[in-house]
Amino acid sequence: MTRFRSILSRVVALHVVAIGVISVAMPLALYWLLNEAANSLHRDALHSQAVTISGFLKPLASGVVLDIPPELEPLYAGSYGLYAYAVLDSAGHVLFSSRNDGSALFPPKESGNGEWVVRRRGTGSVLFGLSVSRTVDGRTYVIQVAQDLSHRDVIIDDIVASFLPSVAWITFPLLLALLLIDILIFRRALKPVREASTTAATIGPTNTEVRLPEKAMPTEIVPLVQAVNQALDRLEKGFRAQREFTGDMAHELRTPLTVIRARVDSLESGPLRDSLRKDLENMTHIVNQVLDIAELETFIVAGDARADLQAVCAEAVAFMAPLAVGQSKTIALGGSEKPVWVHGHAEALFRAVRNLIENAIRHAPTGGSIEVEVSADGTVRVLDDGLGVPEAERESIFRRFWRRDRTKAESRGLGLAIVARVAESHDGSVTVENRPGGGAAFTLRLRPAAA
Amino acid sequence: MRALLVEDSDELVALLKKGLAQGGFSADAVRTAADAAHALATMRYAAIVLDRGLPDDDGLNLLRDMRRRGDSTPVLVLTARDGVSDRVTGLREGADDYMAKPFAMEELLARLQALLRRSDNLLGRRLTFGNVALDAEGRQVIIGGAVRAFPARETAVLEILLRRSGNVAPKRLFEDHLFGLSGDVGSNAVEVYVHRLRKMLADSGATVKIHTVRGVGYLMAEEKTG
Repeated sequence: MTRFRSILSRVVALHVVAIGVISVAMPLALYWLLNEAANSLHRDALHSQAVTISGFLKPLASGVVLDIPPELEPLYAGSYGLYAYAVLDSAGHVLFSSRNDGSALFPPKESGNGEWVVRRRGTGSVLFGLSVSRTVDGRTYVIQVAQDLSHRDVIIDDIVASFLPSVAWITFPLLLALLLIDILIFRRALKPVREASTTAATIGPTNTEVRLPEKAMPTEIVPLVQAVNQALDRLEKGFRAQREFTGDMAHELRTPLTVIRARVDSLESGPLRDSLRKDLENMTHIVNQVLDIAELETFIVAGDARADLQAVCAEAVAFMAPLAVGQSKTIALGGSEKPVWVHGHAEALFRAVRNLIENAIRHAPTGGSIEVEVSADGTVRVLDDGLGVPEAERESIFRRFWRRDRTKAESRGLGLAIVARVAESHDGSVTVENRPGGGAAFTLRLRPAAA
Repeated sequence: MRALLVEDSDELVALLKKGLAQGGFSADAVRTAADAAHALATMRYAAIVLDRGLPDDDGLNLLRDMRRRGDSTPVLVLTARDGVSDRVTGLREGADDYMAKPFAMEELLARLQALLRRSDNLLGRRLTFGNVALDAEGRQVIIGGAVRAFPARETAVLEILLRRSGNVAPKRLFEDHLFGLSGDVGSNAVEVYVHRLRKMLADSGATVKIHTVRGVGYLMAEEKTG
């Protein structure tokens, strides 16, 4: 059933088939019924003719005489007459006949009473008749009456013939009207389902509390709606648990760090305090990155989320400038000066750009420069003038905890992994290449959004 | 100066109280949002240091209630939950500043003082950074103890830089301050004043330097010694 996926189209398709069948079958059935009725009318007419003729049988001493009033004679006048008759005695001898040859209309069959018979004549026309037995003066006579169907009462046939086309003409529009009514009924019945679909479309990881309405739903669909709502309950629970876990983890890790930091800050100044502070800052940095990556793991950007990439980059450059300046490196923002709208979550994008800048600051030499460039097509390039990234490492540097030199203790492998994860969650990409003049150029591509 | 410290970790409270005392604050500490609401109802504080992760509530709810009541006491929000999805909410809820744990005590004090300055407090009169000081009311520039005569616009530039010392001051901020809403700002007008100020500072033997962050703004940082 791939062709008719919607209930409405299925109903319509089946209806069209039904209309086709009905518009053929109904006239046929009507035709048959009308014919039956016409035939029974004929039988009644013939029967009364037979009774009438039997009324003309007058008893005589030696038998009977048939006394037909002259005004009725033309009715039975040979081949022009409407009816033909024959009167037989109980032995089957023809006594009177409207035929010129005086023969019986059809052979008497055990002198059956009131039975009608159809017989073919040589000409191929159909003779329709019946016989009635009558007792006159103690003797039984059989009266046969017949009618050639080519001479049949024309009015009845006319009725049959003219009735059918009109029936056909009325049947078809009626059936079409029924189809339209059915479409309307189905549309009405399926309205809650359509509304539920609109509601369901708004459900996303950022909007998990929406549930489908069960009230107006047709009972056949309620179980489906309930099942969907239950699935949403479980999904929301999972999301909440994940969010709570990263939140709790942040609290559990950062609170002791804060206490240590405050304790270290309260120490007397000296080389010990300075080195402890440095260690703590490194530790904090790693904890923050781990928490970021844990959160980003399940982070999903809302479908309609938009962010101004230019503003995000300006904020990130401003945020990282003190670090760059502190290391005697210059940092600048270039490219578009107007807002660059992209599909995305501003804070997540901020963290991605911040990590790219942090990476660039780390690799730029003292006195070097870091350049951030925003393009109107939704890309950010972060350029440094360091050593660049060897071809073989251009993919692995985006992996978690990757480090060039495993013998060195200082692993900073999470920053670029965060960038890669943000790019992935935004349906974007991050790549790196070397600049012609030396240094690395990281490109973060995002999907542009309407302004 | 009295500050309210809303934080549930006893260890941290003890350390913060000590740090705040060094910064000239006497701090009342409460552990829960309910106690904080109670304290706020009975006492007026110069500033509030509010942790988000309180045992009975999110600190932001307390903040929201305060702002709804029309209480404009400066609030510095602390949070251990500095996640991608909740970082910005704190400021939108009416927090004046937002700090992620762990933080340096010095920074906490600096931010508190900045908040008080912004709320038109007495502390706002003198801005200092390195060996440069500005008497914001008297418009006097003091470098290395000696009073210098700086023109008004250069002084205004210096004030902006001092207020944001250690952080980038966006270029737009200078344009708004120097020329108001009316002026047609030449594209390099700010640059000209910054350039002049830079020269004046250098000539006066200041230990601070103005760095240009092209495309964003200016950053005043202390020059590294040695």
